[in-house]
Amino acid sequence: MDELDAAKCCKRRLEHLKEYCNPRATETSIKQWKKRRLDRMLVEHFLRSGYYDSAIKLAVHSNIEHLTNIDLFLVSRQVEESLLRKETGQCLAWCHDNKSKLRKIKSPLEFNLRQQEFIEFIRQNKRIEAIKHARKYLSCVEGDQKIDLQHVMGLLAFSPDTEVEPYRTLFEESRWSNLVEQFRQANFKLYQLSPTSVFAITLQSGLSALKTPQCYSKETEKNPDCPVCSDLLNKLAMPLPCSHCSQSRLVCHISGQPLNEHNHPMVLPNGNVYGELSLKQMAIDNGGKIICPRSKEVYDLKDAEKVYVM
Amino acid sequence: MDCIINVEKEVDNVIGKFSSVQDKTDQILMDLITNLQKLQRDLIFLSTSNQCELSGIQTVIINQNIAKIRDTISQVAMNHREIHGAVSKVGKVLDKNFISNYSHLTSDTFKQEGLNPYLLNQAIIEHFLRQGMLEIGEELMREAKISVPEEKKNPFSELNDILAGLKKHNVKPALEWIKANKEKLGDRHTQLEFKLHRLQFIEYLRQGVHKQKEMIEYARQNFQSFADDHEKEMQSLMGSLVFLKSGIAQSPYSHLLDPINWNEICDIFTRDACSLLGMSVESPLSVTFNAGTIALPALLNLRQVMLQSSVPSVWTTKDELPIPIDLGKNSQYHSIFACPILRQQSNDSNPPMKLICGHVISKDALNKLTIGNKLKCPYCPVEQNPTDARQIQF
Repeated sequence: MDELDAAKCCKRRLEHLKEYCNPRATETSIKQWKKRRLDRMLVEHFLRSGYYDSAIKLAVHSNIEHLTNIDLFLVSRQVEESLLRKETGQCLAWCHDNKSKLRKIKSPLEFNLRQQEFIEFIRQNKRIEAIKHARKYLSCVEGDQKIDLQHVMGLLAFSPDTEVEPYRTLFEESRWSNLVEQFRQANFKLYQLSPTSVFAITLQSGLSALKTPQCYSKETEKNPDCPVCSDLLNKLAMPLPCSHCSQSRLVCHISGQPLNEHNHPMVLPNGNVYGELSLKQMAIDNGGKIICPRSKEVYDLKDAEKVYVM
Repeated sequence: MDCIINVEKEVDNVIGKFSSVQDKTDQILMDLITNLQKLQRDLIFLSTSNQCELSGIQTVIINQNIAKIRDTISQVAMNHREIHGAVSKVGKVLDKNFISNYSHLTSDTFKQEGLNPYLLNQAIIEHFLRQGMLEIGEELMREAKISVPEEKKNPFSELNDILAGLKKHNVKPALEWIKANKEKLGDRHTQLEFKLHRLQFIEYLRQGVHKQKEMIEYARQNFQSFADDHEKEMQSLMGSLVFLKSGIAQSPYSHLLDPINWNEICDIFTRDACSLLGMSVESPLSVTFNAGTIALPALLNLRQVMLQSSVPSVWTTKDELPIPIDLGKNSQYHSIFACPILRQQSNDSNPPMKLICGHVISKDALNKLTIGNKLKCPYCPVEQNPTDARQIQF
């Protein structure tokens, strides 16, 4: 029955994707579809970042629960929370449920969990139990794990407040959050989800595609409609590459209209270029005078010269 | 589109198999159960008639039944395996037609560590605020432990209330807001106001015949001032009245009832309200995201090509994408001048220069083309002194 549900879920998602390619789709419905796509990706992104409540709220709000993997992530939420409480039980049970798949992707998760349990025994100074635990679970290791295990076994000789490396790091609390991270990655791999958030990657490529050097130059060059010029995204896009352009693409600084043979670029004596249409409109509004919006200098319309950009 | 059809075929196949197998199994099991029930009755009859020994025939029947049960089990198991084949095929087709892992793109094109999560979350919160999803924004603030100053939130909360009203198909708060901000909205308000009145009218329409009187009254009161600009739409609204009795849903006017109208008005309203607050018309996040969905396939393709031709690293200049990406006319916010001679984007040290004939080339190209004290325009016969060229700014 689970399989049938999964198949139906697949079908629903396909239906949703098909809506976009529907030849009868109107502009409005495409817009709505794109909005849903953004919400969908945001939900996924939240789930990945561990913002579960936001994810659920957004999914309910936009009515896209059936298009997201919330159920899947809610299971992992429980496991993650238990790990943060320093309980290994749930995660081990999860490992057991997915044993064969985990072995296929060679996940060291279970080994690391057992190792952590051992460390906790030492921390509580229960060394006999630690040895028993190691005999039971850590006896069959191979490859790289051997070195790890040797370090961990070395702990038997140290107390939790030791300053000796690498034993000091083994006692660190951050190992638990590492385990959470490891669990997440294993979970993604298991369900063939991309290890990084699709939303973040799409946003990055979008920022790059939109980013121009002008977005970072003087204040006057900024376009209020340009997303990369907006405060937050501007900072976000800082480390990303700019868009590439081998063909000039000119837009009028005043109207945002493209400059071409129908809207000739005109240069004012101060070197600033604007579209012919905008300048003419401005001349009509101001009684034949043009005020350069950037420098506030006043010219006549006939001062503007045509420029030719190939 | 192709990939969707491919996968859908397989999924349909699986669903079909599921139901056929289920039917078959049900059938077999029913047969088996009736058989067994008959047998049970026989046995009970036997035991009541004090015959302790089973006759030879009865033993054979029982044995036959047992064999049959075994057969059925193996058959059901086989059917189940068949399903598995179909299911795994879906997985394969999915893998082939959709890309599941985008991470290799990050390592090549972008910095490894990705976007700064703090800034990213702030950007997402702002997006929610301006979309009128105040509640979700606040939830995210809580979970991501980010605080946004109150004065940034306040203008949005009014918006939020109005949108909540619109979601409940209540246009009143929105209309009041328009009245309050009529001056500032300028030309835009008529468009929005008419759309709102239109929706109110449709809402009455949806409620059926008994609202007819209210509808006509409402139209008389509110539509007059829009008659010039929206004649056509109004005609179609009035036309729908004819079908009120027989039911709009079956009439040519059924599209009026489409709930998408309400979603649209929410968007239009948000847009206008945002521009009133001095923000960009569209949410920067969604614009960027949409640009990303265009850019991403191109970048993925590029990577594929690069892998095949085994070029280890063409990204010599890390500060620019390797290929131009056409995002369409509407996504162009800045002028970009690329020198027609050197095919390079202009920048502060290499600005565009206007020759006296009006042609524009970059400063670097100008220097390269200059021989002695003379420069011939690469596009026309004019000769000039390179110092006559003037720097311009787009």
